[in-house]
Amino acid sequence: MFRQGPRAGLWAVLAGTLCGCGGGGGAGGAPAPGPPGLSGKALAGQALFFDTRLSASGQQSCATCHVPARAFTADPATDQGLAVPLGGRHMDLPGFRNAPSLLYVAFTPPFFLAGGTPTGGFFRDGRASSLAVQAQQPFVSPFEMGNSDPAEVLAHLQDSPSTLQPFVAAFGEEVLTDPAATLAAIGAALAAFETEDPRFAPFTSKYDFWLQGEAQLSDAEQRGLALFNNPGKGNCTACHPSKAQGYSAHALFTDFTYDSIGVPRNWNVPANLPTPRSPLSGQPLDYLPSQLNVPADAEYGFYDLGLCGPFAPPPNDPNPRPVFTTITTLCGLFKVPTLRNVAVTAPYFHNGEFATLHTVLQWYVTRDINNNTGNNPTPVPAGPGGNPYFAAGSPYLAASGTPDLDEYNDLPVAFDANVNIGEIPYTPPTFAGGQAPTLSASEIDDVVAFLCTLTDGYDPSHPAAYDVPAQCLPGAH
Amino acid sequence: MRTLEQLTAWLTPRLRPLLLAGALGASSVAAASEADEARFNALQRQLAQVQAALQQLAGENRALREHEREVDRKLAELAAVPQAGSPGPALAQAAAAPSPAATPAAVSPVPGGLPNASALPTAAAAPGNALAGLGGLRLWGYGEVYYTDPTSARNQSQFDLARAVFGIGYVFDERTEFNSEYEVEHAVASSTDVGEFEVEQFYVDRRLNEAVSVRAGLFLMPFGFLNEHHEPTNFYGMQRNFVETLIIPSTWREGGFNLHGDTAAGFGWNVGLTSGFDLSKWNFAPEFPPYSNALGLEDSDIAPLQATHQELALANGRYLSQYLALSYYGVAGLTLGGAISTGQAVPVPAPPNSAAPGTPRVTLWEAHARWVPARWDLSAIYARGAISNTALANAANPGSPNPIPSAFYGYYVQGAYELWQRGDYRLNPFARYEVYNMGASYQGTSGPVLPIGEVPLSAAPGDYGLWPQNHDRVWTLGANFYIGPHLVLKGDYQWYQENVNFKRFDLGLGLAF
Repeated sequence: MFRQGPRAGLWAVLAGTLCGCGGGGGAGGAPAPGPPGLSGKALAGQALFFDTRLSASGQQSCATCHVPARAFTADPATDQGLAVPLGGRHMDLPGFRNAPSLLYVAFTPPFFLAGGTPTGGFFRDGRASSLAVQAQQPFVSPFEMGNSDPAEVLAHLQDSPSTLQPFVAAFGEEVLTDPAATLAAIGAALAAFETEDPRFAPFTSKYDFWLQGEAQLSDAEQRGLALFNNPGKGNCTACHPSKAQGYSAHALFTDFTYDSIGVPRNWNVPANLPTPRSPLSGQPLDYLPSQLNVPADAEYGFYDLGLCGPFAPPPNDPNPRPVFTTITTLCGLFKVPTLRNVAVTAPYFHNGEFATLHTVLQWYVTRDINNNTGNNPTPVPAGPGGNPYFAAGSPYLAASGTPDLDEYNDLPVAFDANVNIGEIPYTPPTFAGGQAPTLSASEIDDVVAFLCTLTDGYDPSHPAAYDVPAQCLPGAH
Repeated sequence: MRTLEQLTAWLTPRLRPLLLAGALGASSVAAASEADEARFNALQRQLAQVQAALQQLAGENRALREHEREVDRKLAELAAVPQAGSPGPALAQAAAAPSPAATPAAVSPVPGGLPNASALPTAAAAPGNALAGLGGLRLWGYGEVYYTDPTSARNQSQFDLARAVFGIGYVFDERTEFNSEYEVEHAVASSTDVGEFEVEQFYVDRRLNEAVSVRAGLFLMPFGFLNEHHEPTNFYGMQRNFVETLIIPSTWREGGFNLHGDTAAGFGWNVGLTSGFDLSKWNFAPEFPPYSNALGLEDSDIAPLQATHQELALANGRYLSQYLALSYYGVAGLTLGGAISTGQAVPVPAPPNSAAPGTPRVTLWEAHARWVPARWDLSAIYARGAISNTALANAANPGSPNPIPSAFYGYYVQGAYELWQRGDYRLNPFARYEVYNMGASYQGTSGPVLPIGEVPLSAAPGDYGLWPQNHDRVWTLGANFYIGPHLVLKGDYQWYQENVNFKRFDLGLGLAF
């Protein structure tokens, strides 16, 4: 990896030229040439990444759910406003999770237990041991690219000359005789692209230039960084370290560990509905995975429990992650994501529950204050004595929009004990220090200001040209 | 008393005829008669007897020299001891006698040292510690068990085998020896336990001449009272004092070599080149308070030099330090000393593409004095450290509760009195007032940003407390009760003026042999 030029270049290339091949439309087309030095595999990966013809619908590529202009995350605007992407053979099947950013993804270590602490791995539950294994899976997922098997992927590849040519150049003709080998090669090519192409690791944020002495953080941004670091305030750095951790010479703002933080249930995820159906076709979601650890008396029918299920390690993974379906203390744990470019990757969390960084922080610091039955059976609406940020008095809402009387309502009650209540910024009611949020409203503004400095594409020689993310603009909140 | 060289000179002319006869006999054996052969055999037997006698004399000579050295030491001790049984100065005088064979624990001009010089576990006894039949091999050891009760947080009371240490030495010859110490802390050392196993010393010492010795390997730095002489019988109070824990990072050892020696006038000197410090290990972002009681304060390795010393464990060798230590013990009952170490250190990694910050320099100096008039034992120490070129690293970590200080210091004054003695029982109450400040000044930040109010002390639900201050003033009152020279029972109480909840009662047992 090497440092890329300023953001203007990044977004001009990725958002303009390359992005035109993704999204919901059109054939593969010819992606813009990659930067010099890419290997043949990486060039093949670039072609694969943007080729919609490899999907059963002919409308979906990797770039559909990992949009370059959004730091390679999904765009709810093209997913009918859902928090999870649409896909499948007819592009009408919702997924289960908010698509993570692919920027800096190549720094992710393979899954390992660091002294018993789950760390690393790919997907939000770390179930793929490598980027190459991860990249194969959406091709044969019924609710993503929708191919029924590797043979169908191979058939689509052979029908896409502009992608087939660099693919064969990199892997030879013989690989096409074996669909499974072809899919494995596709994974390897995509992994090479995401690893080699410096546009996946630009390190061109204002924060990076500030560290290099080439940019100045504003007072609010400086205060925000201090709050971000301070263990008594944001304590964000505990999981999102602002210092390099050994995975890169740069800070990646994730330690790649897992945590259960009790994010509210998002009713904008169709699988979470009392009767899960496609919002487009109305058809039941017959691809819902088995619920292995959900007690019979759980409040809802479907729960995404992260490490302990419902998704299992891919069967074709040569170094499969341990299966944790029987380790219920890991239920509800998801991998800590990077915060680089977080200002352009809304919605947030694995289920896309929150749309803005302000809301995320407001939830963090009031999660255990006046929110639900565990602490307060009658949440007080925003106003005197109530939760200052959530109109219903609690971010935990039932499908009806009224406060959900189950604490941490995106987990079966049996797994509430897995939720992290021991660290700041959570202020559990057992906290002798009281019920005050660890960040005030103005301090939340400062932290958001700092988070906005993590957006790539800043040019210290032309700061005025910086394309400020919408939620970072003055008065956006 | 004859030296070995003198003995050899005396024997050589007397043996020469025998050797010549033997040689002549050997050269003529081919032509000799049976009678000649008998004479030759007789000569051979005589030669063997002479050789055996020579070896015996050499062995006796070694033993006599060792005895002579011990007698000299005891004479020095008797000259120094104001009255029988008074602690300390005798040890200082023992140190005055050049003693290449002394083990690390041997010479200990320390407050609260062994109550009787003869109790020295190693110095006087070192050669005599040689195990019968094992030549120059020596063994020694020390350890301590304690109970500590933070009276403001009694749920944090602990009972611990703090350390069990065994030493192995070997005298290669009268000028060359090897010493090593191995320590198990907290009883059980494994990947899943709290304990550690450490090599605390591992060096070879070679006496170049009567004035100068050279030492190489991993050795203790000659700073303050306690660092080189940390056996529990050698200091007052169950736990080690904070100045010589948080400012001088006892037990501070480095790899390298030194030259050292003593003069007849009672001056000691020690100059060396050693491994340095590593600031790249600095933790700017401790999520939880690194300690929440006094015991944790000592054990947390959060102090500036505790956090950055390398202990010769794959130590970075790019930057070396130099040190000089001087001491004076030429007046009975008085010990004066001081030392300074300085050297560049491994910097905090700079962000990629940024201008490299200047290489930091770590400097530590100290001065100490001890006076033992009659039954009193009075001592004081001041230590101060500095770290340069930390501004950029601190500025890159705003909000940190633990930035790198540019200065830190500590001092104490201590008085002890031998209140009672009967047989080999002795009672020495003491009082100590000490001040430490692990962050006297900072560059690139106004200082630590400490959370206000209670914070989680760990990720365990319900575990809350205050984030501690990194400076304090501490009173300690207590007593050492010696049972002979090798055992000590200790009890003390400590009051803290900043971290008031740290006050604690300590009780423990220490031994050294």
